[in-house]
Amino acid sequence: MSVKATTTPVLVVQEDPREEHLLLDPRPTKELNGMILEAMQRTGKGFWLAVIILGALILVGLVGAWGYQILTGMGVAGIRRPVYWGVYIANFVFWIGISHSGTFVSAILRVFKAEFRRPITRGSEMMTSFALIVAGMYPLIHLGRTWRFYWMVPYPNQRHLWPNFHSPLMWDMMAIFTYLIGSTLYLYLPLIPDLAMARDNTTGWRQKLYRILALGWRGTEAEWHHLKTAINIFAFAIIPVMFSVHTIVSWDFGMTMKTGWHSSIFGPYFVVGAIFSGVSAVATVLLIVRRTMKLDYFLRPEHFDAIGKLVLVFSFAWTYFFFADYLTEWYGGEAVGKELLTLQAHGPVAPLWYAMLITNIVIPWLTLWNRKVRRSFWGLLLVTLGVNVGMYIERYIIVTGFLTRNRLPFDWGAYNPTWVELLISIGSLSTFIFLYAVVSRLIPLVPIWEVREGQIAHTLRRVGRALVPSVAELE
Amino acid sequence: MSDTVLLALFDDVEPVADTLDSLRREGISENDMVVVSGVPYPARVLGRPMVWERLPLIAISGAFVGFLVGVFLNAGTPLLYPVHVGGQPLIPLPPSLVITYEFTMMGLIVSTFLGVLWESTFPSYGPKYYERRISSEGDIGILFRCPQERVAEFETLMRENGAEDVVEPEAKTL
Repeated sequence: MSVKATTTPVLVVQEDPREEHLLLDPRPTKELNGMILEAMQRTGKGFWLAVIILGALILVGLVGAWGYQILTGMGVAGIRRPVYWGVYIANFVFWIGISHSGTFVSAILRVFKAEFRRPITRGSEMMTSFALIVAGMYPLIHLGRTWRFYWMVPYPNQRHLWPNFHSPLMWDMMAIFTYLIGSTLYLYLPLIPDLAMARDNTTGWRQKLYRILALGWRGTEAEWHHLKTAINIFAFAIIPVMFSVHTIVSWDFGMTMKTGWHSSIFGPYFVVGAIFSGVSAVATVLLIVRRTMKLDYFLRPEHFDAIGKLVLVFSFAWTYFFFADYLTEWYGGEAVGKELLTLQAHGPVAPLWYAMLITNIVIPWLTLWNRKVRRSFWGLLLVTLGVNVGMYIERYIIVTGFLTRNRLPFDWGAYNPTWVELLISIGSLSTFIFLYAVVSRLIPLVPIWEVREGQIAHTLRRVGRALVPSVAELE
Repeated sequence: MSDTVLLALFDDVEPVADTLDSLRREGISENDMVVVSGVPYPARVLGRPMVWERLPLIAISGAFVGFLVGVFLNAGTPLLYPVHVGGQPLIPLPPSLVITYEFTMMGLIVSTFLGVLWESTFPSYGPKYYERRISSEGDIGILFRCPQERVAEFETLMRENGAEDVVEPEAKTL
């Protein structure tokens, strides 16, 4: 019997795993604290310029344009019969989608003990809270008579008005309210130990702020025990709430008898789309944060590699749901359904529809299988930005495009957003960026204690001739 | 006989569990010693007894209260403030499940948060024994109460177990 090599032997040189993995590259606690506190206080000219520009855009959009709409009336928006839901509702759905970032990255990955989550959880949880704040503004903007919002609140009153709790719009309000409270508390709880760290390492107004927010935390066994138990309960509780929120948003559409909307697949389709856009937004934001706040030690290519894989997986999932919905409509052959498909393929929204297919399917599929793209700043940034442009288009078409075609042609129409709607949209986007930029300078954006906990649990173990990462079950 | 509080600081978790054993052997009860750290260490790592955690019970109770609020809003208020929609029952079951679910989850989430505050007696800024090095430098501290006349003996014991410093901490406002 001859023993012959069937392939050409290649010398495999192992890279140092410590360079690759944050959790295998521990540094002294003082140094870790210093890095994160320094990043929080790094506010150069560029930062202040960005804050001023964003502040100005918020003033123009949310004070100027929205104020003008309140004073003048909803006629200044482009919504006309039959398109009663315009950009405001598309924005609302989009921002609710972005809010799924934190819960998915933080809660689901925490439940499954995905170790790469550790430095990125807080950055994504912050996105959830701020995206929900922005999303929550849109029903008020869309309301027109914003000052009447309290009519939605159930309390005995002499007007004999009572909200109908069996209406999807009421479900929406309650679901968003629950999710906002849940995700904000879920952001705050794991933050307490890091706020105590900041309290102990800062002076002046920052120390006063952190002292209040840290609630007197010391880090005793009992405090940790309660905190860890609470985080576990939150992680499990917030996941079904996350699913319910976008499902209920989809039911705003699905519960109507409108062709294109009245679909049982809308719930999961919206949820998958939300996670797709949310995870993409996490990548976009963290790439920018890494560069501007110089967090290269904490946010490494391994993290973007993992997020890139998630984006690709959710691109597959979104495509599946999109196609299932599309094919059902196509095969049904209902006249108005055909019109909707024609509208997308050849009608006025066709350029947008094809752009959506390219950014949500073609580009991610062609690029994200490649490790180099997932680890490249510009590569991942452009792909994930593209995904969010595509997901916005998807919402825009579903909300405004579908309303232009109804069962009887006399009820067809067109929709063009006005400058008021566009300025309000820019104002709300600026609000999100503004909040994120400012708060990232106020609270530790990377959960130091979680990173340290991970670094204690991770070691290198020799298996044969290779050094392989090994994790101890400390949690 | 008056008691003194000592804080032994260690730069690693390994000797902490052994030191806790030494303290037990010297007659210090479990209730008179506390480990303070910047990273959570499970009870099994430190060799400490498992503590009964009431938080899940608080969370479930909160969820139940939320459920009752949801049921009240769905079933109670339509009876108090009837809104008749043509062809629909006043209290339909499937749509009622949505609001009931949301309120149940809201109750669970809010009660869990309040439970943490309650169980940890937060906020509490009053004077407490604490040392900044725990959060700043990653030290692990053992706070324990010992008789005044045995302070020197316990200091030696701590250092023999690997403590990098043993201090009589001052209770500070946090």
